[in-house]
Amino acid sequence: MVSILASDQDNPDGSKSNGQGKDSRSSEAQDHSKAPVAPNGNKAIPEKSAAQKNEKPSGAELKKRAKAEKAAKRAQSKQGQQAPPNDASKSTKPENKKLSDEKESIQSSPQHPPAKLQHRRSGSASASSQRPLQLRPGQQQAPAAEPESRKEPQKLAFISHLYGIPRRTSIAGAGKDVHPSIFALGLQMSNYIICGSNARCLSTLLVFKRVIEAYVTPPNNSLPRDLTIHLSAQIDYLKSCRPLSVSMGNAIRWLKLTISTIDPDTPEHQAKTKLCSAIDNFIRERITVAGQAIASSASSRIQDGDVIVTFAKSSIVERTLAEAYRQGKNFQVIVADSEPLFEGRNSAIALANLGLQVQYASINTLSHFVQDATKVFLGAHGMMSNGRLYSRIGTALVAMMARDLDIPVLVLCESIKFTDKVALDSIATNELAPSHELGFVGTGVGKAGEEDEWRSASNLVGLNLMYDLTPAQCIHMVITEYGSLPPSSVPVVQRLSTNT
Amino acid sequence: MASSSTKAAAAAAQSSLTTPPPEERPSSPPKNKDNSDFDILATYTHLLSTTPTLTMPLAAIASLIKLLTHSPPSTTSETLSLLSTHSAALKRALRNPIACTAGTDLFQRYIISTLQSPVSLQTRSTGDFTTTRDGLVASGEQFVARAQEARGVIATIGGKLVQDGSTVLTAGDSRVVSAVLDAAADKGVKFRVVYVRDSGTPSSSSDASGVGGDGMVARLRGKGVAVAVIGPSATAYSLGKVTMVMVGAEGVVENGGIVSRLGTYQLAMLAKSARKPVYVVAESHKFVRLYPLGQYDLPIQQTVLDFRDRTDDADEGNVPGGTGEEKRSGGGEGDEEAVDYTPPELITALVTETGVHIPSAVSEELIKIWY
Repeated sequence: MVSILASDQDNPDGSKSNGQGKDSRSSEAQDHSKAPVAPNGNKAIPEKSAAQKNEKPSGAELKKRAKAEKAAKRAQSKQGQQAPPNDASKSTKPENKKLSDEKESIQSSPQHPPAKLQHRRSGSASASSQRPLQLRPGQQQAPAAEPESRKEPQKLAFISHLYGIPRRTSIAGAGKDVHPSIFALGLQMSNYIICGSNARCLSTLLVFKRVIEAYVTPPNNSLPRDLTIHLSAQIDYLKSCRPLSVSMGNAIRWLKLTISTIDPDTPEHQAKTKLCSAIDNFIRERITVAGQAIASSASSRIQDGDVIVTFAKSSIVERTLAEAYRQGKNFQVIVADSEPLFEGRNSAIALANLGLQVQYASINTLSHFVQDATKVFLGAHGMMSNGRLYSRIGTALVAMMARDLDIPVLVLCESIKFTDKVALDSIATNELAPSHELGFVGTGVGKAGEEDEWRSASNLVGLNLMYDLTPAQCIHMVITEYGSLPPSSVPVVQRLSTNT
Repeated sequence: MASSSTKAAAAAAQSSLTTPPPEERPSSPPKNKDNSDFDILATYTHLLSTTPTLTMPLAAIASLIKLLTHSPPSTTSETLSLLSTHSAALKRALRNPIACTAGTDLFQRYIISTLQSPVSLQTRSTGDFTTTRDGLVASGEQFVARAQEARGVIATIGGKLVQDGSTVLTAGDSRVVSAVLDAAADKGVKFRVVYVRDSGTPSSSSDASGVGGDGMVARLRGKGVAVAVIGPSATAYSLGKVTMVMVGAEGVVENGGIVSRLGTYQLAMLAKSARKPVYVVAESHKFVRLYPLGQYDLPIQQTVLDFRDRTDDADEGNVPGGTGEEKRSGGGEGDEEAVDYTPPELITALVTETGVHIPSAVSEELIKIWY
């Protein structure tokens, strides 16, 4: 809950005084968002008309100040209201309202500083006529009023289909069927504590095991039918935290298929044990052993004197490099990294701790160090059926540059990450992360004040895409547990791995 | 099989740098750990030299079949271990084991899948292993016989690519290419051939013997096909008049690239930049489970690039250790036997007995065999 903490500290009306646990805090944020709705509707119209009438900057400024004061007052009064504990029935209803509000403005993620801003923004939903005022000098003096007219310009038209519902960062409003461990997992995923295709798939399966263990078939229903529905609720919750990864999608498809093949007459505990052991087997076959196979075949590609470039963090690349090092090969590793997640840092540190010769560099210096490289090893988020690699944003840049210099690019990818989808560009399919994360997550330099600055400029749009697509011709080889293949053979292996 | 005139292959086998001295090899075969006095290498080289139509992978398969008849194994696992040890021995003994690997791997996969087939399991559960083994040997021989027919099929398919008025540029003495061209000539297609002479042959002895290609040139001329013989340095010059480039291959690797006689890569590069289609004609048993990332990633030690001064041979003798010998043998056969790797981007299509494929189809075929 990094961002929530940040916004709490930042909050001028003192909501940071709530030192409770995560859950209470998030429900509190919930409350903030809910409360202003009613007064808001009354306020919005006079405010807007006043603003429209006032052509002079000084008038507008005065208005804004008055507004800010009002907002502060309201927030304070709400602070008082808030003290009694929130009951669940209250919070579920406004959640919908909140979500619809947020749909309209991308930056209104739930961790947004509460009452005041929330109110302003929702109040100005239709107040696009106010926009010119924003550019006037008075603006700086009343920053609280700024978000009012900022909704529309924050969306980029060419990726408008990616905005969707903003990520969930609290457990508020979740269905009653969702298992507590799924709540935890969802939060870990949306905060990148569990990050990476493999880790997410693995943790999802492990948590599903717990869900299955805790599951009790309702009377007059059979496990194969009802468990799938029960799991769907869990999956929907996870989806609302962060879109599912390709590997998770494949694993879930497999799990549902496995559940549906269970004989309805099987005793419940037996069916559950069977499912859990099937999940264990699946993890072993498709992730653990597949990883070993890939690591051993990929490490045989590393020769003495090689300089291996890798990008960000991939568990399987890390494993391969460690394996090659264990075999006594003498090579050097360059870990390229970039925002927004800077996952490569962990990778670089882990490899350096093992004893490898590691160099860590930002992707900005890529053109310089890629010239020394002899091979490029890339991890994958997904392999598309047309042979393209869907991976952490920045990967395509590395692959293209390596291709340009005729350096072999090897993709290490378990067959669980293969998908039958095709992708032609990284715009049609992608994941859009909250744009404020661009400057904050992982860097440690981001302060809450900067976040506000980022949000305050109406003509500044953050684009935080998570993935990009590497063209197939930039990939020399895809190493899977089925062996090494050219990217064009991805559909063959995909068929093979789903049939067996 | 661009470079694989059988003599050359035999020479390669004999002059390989493994432990037993070459001159001793035919008489005293390298003893294998298990049972046999069977010399897989001698059988292999003998087969290659006596049957000129046999390709290297097929010779390897035929040798393994002979092995099974010579020292009959009595159990399944014995069969498999016998095959794998002898395949490994053969591969070790050869300087360039790529083509032979295609054959031995294919045969081992074939044996395993045959043994795993339900019919085989049934017979094994009832009868003794002798029946199974005999069945293996028989079907193996059948496989070799069928594979040898592949060339004829390719000639029919590939012959259609050669059309009236076209000019085909080829290099090396590929038997498949010459079969294709013969087939086209026999059909009465009016076409011309540009034959790129081997760089190993000095230009002075251009029309003299020495290169296997002469046979093909003479035969085509006999059929009324106009043939121009050029040196390798005239390739780029001639490409403007050429309709297509057709080459053979020693092995077709997993990504659809080929391992072939040295010079094929540069020929393909030239053809690509001249925008001429490059067709590779090769039997599908030359598909090998190998995936080189580049020229220097082949499982062969080649001495093509030699930075040492070759002018003073006197000093050469003084070089201590095995380097001098290696150098000499490398220098002697390096040009003739060396191979290069042509990446799939440079290849327009592969003509096999199963049809005309794009390079990426190779991996599919190989996956089908292996999984």
